[in-house]
Amino acid sequence: MQPQGEVYNLGYQRYDGPREGRRRARRAIFENGVRTVLGLGRGPRAKVIPALLFLGAIVPALIFVIILSVAGSSAGFIPGPSDYYQVISIILLLFGAISAPELLCSDRRDNVIHLYLVRPLTPTDYLLGRFLAFFTIVLALAYSGQIILQAGLILSASAPWEYIQDNWTDIPRFLGAGFLMALFITAVPLAVASFTDRRAYAAAFVIGLFIISTGVADGLTSTEDCREVSRPDGSTEVACNSGDRAVTGEAAQWFSLISIRDVPVRINDMIFGTENETPSIKAAAGLHASIPIALYVLFTAGPVLVLWLRYRRIRA
Amino acid sequence: MVVSFDHLQRTSSSFLDRACDWRPVAYNYAVKPLLEAENLTKHYGATIALESVSFQVYEGITGLLGPNGAGKSTTIKLFLGLIRPTSGSARVLGEEPYETIEGRARLGYMPEYEALPSSVTASEFLMHMAQVSGLPPSQARTRAADILRHVGLDEERYRQIGQYSTGMKQRVKLAQALVHDPVLVLLDEPTAGLDPGGREEMLGLIRRIGREFGISMVLSTHLMGDIERTADRVILLEDGHIAQEGAVAQFTQETEDLHIEVDDHRHEVIAALTRRGVETKEQGAVMVVEGADDAVYDAIRDAVAEADARLRRLALRRHTLTEIFQDRKSHATSG
Repeated sequence: MQPQGEVYNLGYQRYDGPREGRRRARRAIFENGVRTVLGLGRGPRAKVIPALLFLGAIVPALIFVIILSVAGSSAGFIPGPSDYYQVISIILLLFGAISAPELLCSDRRDNVIHLYLVRPLTPTDYLLGRFLAFFTIVLALAYSGQIILQAGLILSASAPWEYIQDNWTDIPRFLGAGFLMALFITAVPLAVASFTDRRAYAAAFVIGLFIISTGVADGLTSTEDCREVSRPDGSTEVACNSGDRAVTGEAAQWFSLISIRDVPVRINDMIFGTENETPSIKAAAGLHASIPIALYVLFTAGPVLVLWLRYRRIRA
Repeated sequence: MVVSFDHLQRTSSSFLDRACDWRPVAYNYAVKPLLEAENLTKHYGATIALESVSFQVYEGITGLLGPNGAGKSTTIKLFLGLIRPTSGSARVLGEEPYETIEGRARLGYMPEYEALPSSVTASEFLMHMAQVSGLPPSQARTRAADILRHVGLDEERYRQIGQYSTGMKQRVKLAQALVHDPVLVLLDEPTAGLDPGGREEMLGLIRRIGREFGISMVLSTHLMGDIERTADRVILLEDGHIAQEGAVAQFTQETEDLHIEVDDHRHEVIAALTRRGVETKEQGAVMVVEGADDAVYDAIRDAVAEADARLRRLALRRHTLTEIFQDRKSHATSG
């Protein structure tokens, strides 16, 4: 029998397959961004923080759904779709502050950005890929909690179909509010990350910014404690207690805007048409609707512009 | 991998057959220059980095040689399209890279400094960089595995890059420049920071990539030894100008000095040569005879036989690039 031979070519093979250019490059940056944030393709330690924060954003919805399934729709303290983003906003802001800088800081610290920019990719392509990667994850995180909550509310209702008919507007509202919240949570930390190579510095700065600005706003603004009191003559009057607040009245409304954490929450309240009891938000309730909108635009478009300016002239 | 005879023929075909598929019309880089500088000038404010430099780079390994501040890095950045020239033009495969970025898909670049992520594996990193160069994911995976094997990191490819030695990191840097099968690779000081053993390995790898893989390279370095051992041509930059250029062989021509090396009885050989009227100089283990003619060759043959020595080497000495530099410097000083 003729021996059958096989030729093994272990020499260098030229590549003559498809080359998809800039389109593939952009997609690769996006996909790598998603994997980086979630710690995929990295050691176990890189997965711990994203996993914990991910759980933190979804677990509240699961708890509410469990309570609904046990107590039914009579459980009055269960937040609706309008309140849910405020409940998880702290977790989302923490997630943004801790995870978003990793996308930009490590590429600059390790000089990998220089290897990207000698490939068919512009600095704007790179930024867009990274921005969209983080935005997509935050959006998925925000929506998944809302979807779980919505499903719980519908299934626990005595008449689910009627519940949907009465509350269908909640769906476009939570989609819109979630989109705007994700945009804010992506833009601010990434802009901060463009100023430092160290992820920890960026994270500390963003967390500090949120905590300090909220603390200052709460400390300065007055949510006057007013109540009806009875006079000795039997009549009643409204007495207000401003406590130790430094600022009261109209000035307090403006000072309450200092709280950066409240920026997306105010937009959420406007979309759902609800009133918020948080002191710093309540203090600004009397301001014209255009003010919170302008503030939101400033805190999302502003960081995006800063990011673009920082990377526009970056060179290897 | 099992390949057919047809495939072998195809993969071993000449450069002429390899079209640049990112262009509608293939750029024939077997006859046209890969890189072309025409009156290329770059000023940084009052500092002149390059002044009216013109040269062409064709297939093969070309050395860009010069001391620090000569303009080597600026030249590379101009060809990568990272900066724009003050005047003149820099063309890569016929296009100006600062006008269009698509051509970068066929260029590779290995920077001098460390530019690797520490927390990912070499395999994951190379796969990603192949995709950023435009390769689809399945092909990127195959290419990453192939290239890591070629640079000698096959068994280490699933380790995090942060755990690699300096030499291994240097090889990953080279691998990322090759993973998308570029037409031309620009190497910036590829042996920087390596110990003598690592340097030899890297130079061997560069020679292999140039000769066996058929990938052209521009090697920017201040080390003349690196150029001598790898390059076909050399462009010598000094203070932003081209001081000299040409084939490396042209600069390292044979001299009339004869190098003699023997395994033993060296002193007896020297004595026998002296008796025959041939003057020798000792340079370490090497005996040098100046101005050798036929009579000297006969005398060496007889002296080695008389001393009963084993002849290891008998060859005309070549000039080194170092000597050319030293000559240029001494001319400049005396001028």
